[in-house]
Amino acid sequence: MPPRRLPLTAACLAACLALAQPAATPVPAAPALSSTAERVYEMAKPRILQVRTLLQAAGRQTTLGSGFLVGADGLALTNYHVVSQFALDPRTYRLEYLAPDGARGELKLLAIDVAHDLAVVKLDRAGLPWFEFDPRALAGNLPKGERIYAMGNPLDLGFTIIEGTNNGLVDRSYDERIHFSGAINPGMSGGPVTDAEGRIVGINVAKRLDGEQVGFLVPARFAAALLERARHGPALAVDKAREEVGRQLDGWQSTFYDTLVRAGFRTAAYGPYQGLESAAPWMTCWAATNADQVPRPRAAVNTTRCSSATGIFVSDRILTGRVDLTYAYYKSVDLNAFQFAKELSQRSAGPGIGAVAAKRLTEQECRDDFVAGAGHGPALRATWCMRAYRDFEGLYNVTLLALTQDRSREALLAQLTMQGVSHANAVALGRRFLAAIQWQR
Amino acid sequence: MWVEVLALDGAIATRERIDGAEARIGRAFDNDVVVDDPHVAPHHLRIFRDDAGELVAEDLGTVNGLYPEHGAQRSALLSLAKLSGIRIGRTTLRVHDGTRPVAPERALTAPRAHAAWAALLGVALLAMLAVLQWLDTTGQPRANVILLPLLGFIAILALWAGLWAVLSRVFLGQARFALQLRIAVTACLALIAWDQACETLSFALAWREMADYAALGVWALLAATCYAHLHAIGPRHMRFAMGIVLVLVGAGALLQYASRSEVRTLVGQSATLGELRPPALRLVPLASADEFFARAAGTRLKVDQARTREPGGGLFADFGQSD
Repeated sequence: MPPRRLPLTAACLAACLALAQPAATPVPAAPALSSTAERVYEMAKPRILQVRTLLQAAGRQTTLGSGFLVGADGLALTNYHVVSQFALDPRTYRLEYLAPDGARGELKLLAIDVAHDLAVVKLDRAGLPWFEFDPRALAGNLPKGERIYAMGNPLDLGFTIIEGTNNGLVDRSYDERIHFSGAINPGMSGGPVTDAEGRIVGINVAKRLDGEQVGFLVPARFAAALLERARHGPALAVDKAREEVGRQLDGWQSTFYDTLVRAGFRTAAYGPYQGLESAAPWMTCWAATNADQVPRPRAAVNTTRCSSATGIFVSDRILTGRVDLTYAYYKSVDLNAFQFAKELSQRSAGPGIGAVAAKRLTEQECRDDFVAGAGHGPALRATWCMRAYRDFEGLYNVTLLALTQDRSREALLAQLTMQGVSHANAVALGRRFLAAIQWQR
Repeated sequence: MWVEVLALDGAIATRERIDGAEARIGRAFDNDVVVDDPHVAPHHLRIFRDDAGELVAEDLGTVNGLYPEHGAQRSALLSLAKLSGIRIGRTTLRVHDGTRPVAPERALTAPRAHAAWAALLGVALLAMLAVLQWLDTTGQPRANVILLPLLGFIAILALWAGLWAVLSRVFLGQARFALQLRIAVTACLALIAWDQACETLSFALAWREMADYAALGVWALLAATCYAHLHAIGPRHMRFAMGIVLVLVGAGALLQYASRSEVRTLVGQSATLGELRPPALRLVPLASADEFFARAAGTRLKVDQARTREPGGGLFADFGQSD
C-alpha cells in the first residue's frame, strides 16, 4: 500500500469540512499535552506557516500545506508536493503563505528536490524568527523512541502540535524516510518536526492509510542540503521549474536503476520455470494462489508480485518511480490447449490497459513478437508497451509482458513494469528479465 | 403484332396477339385490347404501321395523352421502333413484332433444394458456433453457457432472413425464405471463418494491426451478403439497389475506420498479449532478443512524436487521467 500524500485539495477540504460540521459540538477536554509540547509550540508558533496554492484567475486556494522558516533571510521549507501545481503550471497558480499572526504574502519558489519531496520558498519579508536543525538528526543518530513534535495545519483546522515517537528510518525502503508514530493529517505536509528543544529533525510528508498513526518524515539532512543549494546555487527561474523536475526525475531513475543493478539479481522458481528476482532488500514480494477457490478453478495459478514500493510525487495525477515484477505460473487442470490459451489471453492484461492519452502522459504504443529464449530457454511471446511523459523528455512508463511458448497447457506469464524510466535503463532491465526466463526441470 | 399490358408492379398482366394491320386500345369493349384503367379514355390509342413498316402509336384525342414509358414528353404520335414501351393513363404497354428472342429455358431448382442446403449449412453453423463457444469457455463448462447464445443467434438469423423474404414477397411476389436463409447462413459461416482466421493470423504472425483489416473484411462480406440477398429477389432495379448497399457499407466502413483511428490516438494500445492461441500455431520465426528490442524501439519514436500532440478531448477525456 503506497503512502498517501498529504496535500489537502479543495474538493477534499470541502468534504472534510462538511463532515466536520456536525461533530463541532463541544467535546470533553482532551488530556493536557506535556509541558514540553507547550514549550515547543510557544517557541515554534511564529516560525510556522501555512502554504497555499491559489488559482490565479479565481484567487482561491486549491491546495493547502504547511511550511516553516529556516533563516533570517525569509527562507522557508515545505514539501515539493505542496507546491507542485505551481512548479508545473506557474501561469495557472500562485503561492501564498499565511502566518499564525494572520500576516500573508507572496512566496517565491527557490529550489526543489523532487526525489525527497522538498522545496525551498522565500517570503516577501525578512527578520522573522526561524528554526535551527538538530545536529543529531543531521548526523543520523537521533535515538529511537525519543519524543518528537510534529506541527502544521491539519485539515485547515488551525496550527496544531502533535507529540509522537521517532521510530528511526523505515526498514526495507529505498527512500530514506523516518517512521513517526503519531497522527499526521492532510494539510500538515511540509510542516516541521522538532525535538524537545525545538530543533528540526524532519519534515511531515506522508501517512499510511492502512495503518493507525503511521506517519513518515523526510530526514532533516536532505532539507539542510537543499537549503544549502538554495542559498548558494542559482535561483530557480519560474518557467524553468518543469525542466528542473524532469532533470531530477532523470537523475533519480539513473541512480535507482544503478542501485538496483548493484544490489544484484537472483533467479527464483515459479513452478517448473524460473525468472529474475531482485536481491535488493527493498523489493518486497507477495504471493497469491487460486487453489482455494470454489468451484475448483480449471487452471491453477500461482502469482508472485514484487514491488520496489517507491513512489515519487510529480503532480496530483502522476506518481512515478515504481518497478513491479510479476510472475504468474499457470497450469491447466482440465482446459485444452485452446481454452488454456483463451484463459491466458484474459489474464495477460498489464497495467494501463486503457492507457488513455492524458495531460501528462501520451497514449500507449505496443509491439508484439515471438522471441527466442536465451540459451536453452523457452520461446516467448513478448509485448513491449511504452508511454512518454509529455513534460519530461526521455522518461517513459514501460510494460514488458512475456509468456512462455514451450508448452500448450502450462505457462509462465511474466510482467515487468517500470515507471519514469529512461529508454536505456528500461531496455537493460528488460533484457535481463527476458533472458532469465528458463525451464528448470 | 403483340400488345402487352403491364401490371403496376411491372409484371405482364395480359398479352394480346393482333393479327390485323392496326390495333385499337382503350377502356371500351369494342377495342382490340381493353385496358381497365380509369385514367384511360374509352378509345385511347391506335397502333398502325407507317409507310416504312414501323409501328406507330397515335393518340385519339384524350385527356391524359400518350407518353413514352420513361419520358415526360406528351406526344400525339409516337414511333415505337426505339421505345421499350408507352404509357397511357397509369398503364404501361409494350408493343412489338414478336420477333425478339426469348431467354433460354432455365433449369428447375430441385424442390426444397434451398431448404435442404439452408438446413445443412445451418447445422454446420450451429455446430461451429457451439465448438467455438466451448473452446472459449474457461469457466465451468455448463450446457446453458454454451447453448444459450446459440438460441439468440438463431433468432437473429431467422429475423434477418425473414426481413429479406418480406422484401422478396413485395418485389418479386414470392417470399423464397429458404433461399434467403441459405444466403444468410452461408454469410454467417464466412464471417465466423474470417473472424477466426484473422484472430489466429494475428497471433501466428504476432501482428496486432490485423484487427484493423479484419474489420474491413467484415464490411466487404456484409456488402457481398446484401448483394446476394438482392440478387435473389430479382435482377430488376439491381443496379440501383446495389448502389445504395455499396454507399451504406462504404459509409459504415469509413465511419468505423475514422472512429477506430480516433480511439487509437486517444486510448493508444493496451498492454496485453492479445488473443492467444496454442503455441503450435505460431507461423513467424522466433526473433532474437536483439531484434525484438530493436523493433520495440519503434514504439519510442511514436510516443516521442505524441508528446508534442495535444491530447484529444471527447468521449474518453474523462477517463484514465491518472496512471
